Amino acid sequence: MNERTVAVYRTATQKVSEFTVPYNERTTIIDALEYIRLQEEPDLMFRQSCHHGSCGTCGVAVNGEFVLACIKRLADIPEDQPVRIEPLPTMHQIGDLAFDPAEFFNEFPDDITYTRVSDVNTDAAVPEGMEHYERFENCIECGLCVTSCPVTEDWMGPAALASIHRMVEKSPHEADRWLDLAADARGVERCTKNFSCSRVCPTGVAPGKRITLLGAAIKKRAKARAAEGESDA
Amino acid sequence: MSNASDTHVVVVGGGGTGAAILYDLVQRGFKATLFERGELTCGSTGRHHGLLHSGARYVVKDREVGRECMDEVRILTRIAPEAIEANRGIFVAFDEEELAFRETFEQACAEADIPAQWLTSEQVLAMEPRLNPGLLGGVMVPDGTLDAYRLPMHFFAGARKLGAVIRNFTRVESLVFEGRRIAGVTVHDLRTGADETVKCDLVINATGGWAGRLAAMADIELPITPAPGTMLAHQGRLVNNIIERLRPASDGDILVPQRGLSIIGSTQWQTDDPDDCTVPDADVEFLTKAAIEMVPDFKETAYHKAWAAVRPLAGASSTEEEGRELSRDFDVRDHAKLDNVEGMLSLTGGKATTLRAMGEKTVDVVCDLFDVDTPCRTASEPLPNYRHFFRQGVLV
Repeated sequence: MNERTVAVYRTATQKVSEFTVPYNERTTIIDALEYIRLQEEPDLMFRQSCHHGSCGTCGVAVNGEFVLACIKRLADIPEDQPVRIEPLPTMHQIGDLAFDPAEFFNEFPDDITYTRVSDVNTDAAVPEGMEHYERFENCIECGLCVTSCPVTEDWMGPAALASIHRMVEKSPHEADRWLDLAADARGVERCTKNFSCSRVCPTGVAPGKRITLLGAAIKKRAKARAAEGESDA
Repeated sequence: MSNASDTHVVVVGGGGTGAAILYDLVQRGFKATLFERGELTCGSTGRHHGLLHSGARYVVKDREVGRECMDEVRILTRIAPEAIEANRGIFVAFDEEELAFRETFEQACAEADIPAQWLTSEQVLAMEPRLNPGLLGGVMVPDGTLDAYRLPMHFFAGARKLGAVIRNFTRVESLVFEGRRIAGVTVHDLRTGADETVKCDLVINATGGWAGRLAAMADIELPITPAPGTMLAHQGRLVNNIIERLRPASDGDILVPQRGLSIIGSTQWQTDDPDDCTVPDADVEFLTKAAIEMVPDFKETAYHKAWAAVRPLAGASSTEEEGRELSRDFDVRDHAKLDNVEGMLSLTGGKATTLRAMGEKTVDVVCDLFDVDTPCRTASEPLPNYRHFFRQGVLV
């Protein structure tokens, strides 16, 4: 195993402290943080759960890049670069690297669903009742997109809007209701099309594209309604 | 009969077991506070591979465990549907030896009321075209994929809504004794750096693989074996159903689809230190090979992550061989009866699929201890969505 110096932000001192950690080609930022907590700093605060990029709890900034600590590998950071681990800047900080995502989750409408159809399988040999499969959404609600977004005005943000777009896709018969939510003054119109959200997303949700599609659907609906109004008059 | 609201229970450990116990406690009217040294579910719970067990994996060895799993699958898909990819599991026979296991397996499933349907090789391949085409058939059972983080967070959401006090990033440092009775805990709040004493009528040790450490604070030696296992995720959803091998449970025989990942599990070794579960290189090689045997395309997909989690096996053991034979059953240990220390229960064993049942069983014991006669309702009431945990405001 090689060794690497990593710098970790500490709330108590308001600056980073340096630690030496062992690493191999699989070692991730979360492994480094666990090593530090176990060997040197039992009070180090950071969030983590699944260790494989599914729960969305472990977002941090590494050298200014917003990543999931559990899948960002130390070996992918060139050896001549430092490793500086800091909390996600826009989240509600509770200590060291840890944050409370209450405000982030408040932006999601109440009845956004989390499962969707995975595949439809119409092969004649498929047993009855097994013609379609189910899966979780790709979005793991980690908040990296919201953190990366340059919009400073108060708004719903890319994660919540992307979830609304998924609902339009999943239940087109209820599209009106979801488009109404997205058309809110805190909704799609605040987007500046920077697309940092899509670049930073660890699971390929492409929130920027989804917000653009929502905007287009809202415009199309307004046009259709206007045309209807004219023909009525 | 006593009033539950006069009784304060402290739960130590914010994993799936703690979540289910906490929810059950407050639903039955107890005052309850949970302490977790890190973020909720940060120990073993969140690292689970996600296999929601119909019980078929255990049923040949233990009909009752199989039956209990199946009951819980029915309940969880009803009370927390958003935390489950409700597909199926296929126990595939890849060779003649596995095919020969079919009868034993189907018989056991029938005896435990686990719906099992034989599929011909053509049917299996129609359902899962990426499986090794040499397969000889398979048995379909109601396995599924659970979200190892969001399922317990549903329980935490329900607990919080009903008034449970949840304190993450707060480490229990010691137990407070009044004679031979445990009367509280001292905790260290990582947020503030402050130490405080919290009085209670009962401590529940729900720390999983770490349970031996909390018990040791009361000079109790707990029969528990922390047994880590490795899992490996590749990018790409190669199957939609859980794929297992039609043979007695062993290493590297579970392939779990989850979101856009394929996860192969698992291995098992034993450790003295549940905090140290570095993935052995050999495990990654072994699991990669095992996955390719079942799904040749696994070879073409990109490595995503290898990680390990500590299982809280009930019972002490000194050899690897014995470790695998230990029952995975769940046990509530009342230290008053067994160790002459009042005021603490320790939980050993258990599995993710049966978290709700573990909560029920534990709180039933609590009700007996405090002469409370309120039945469990967790099986019949839908849980609030996990997002509601956070939507109730910042934890303080």
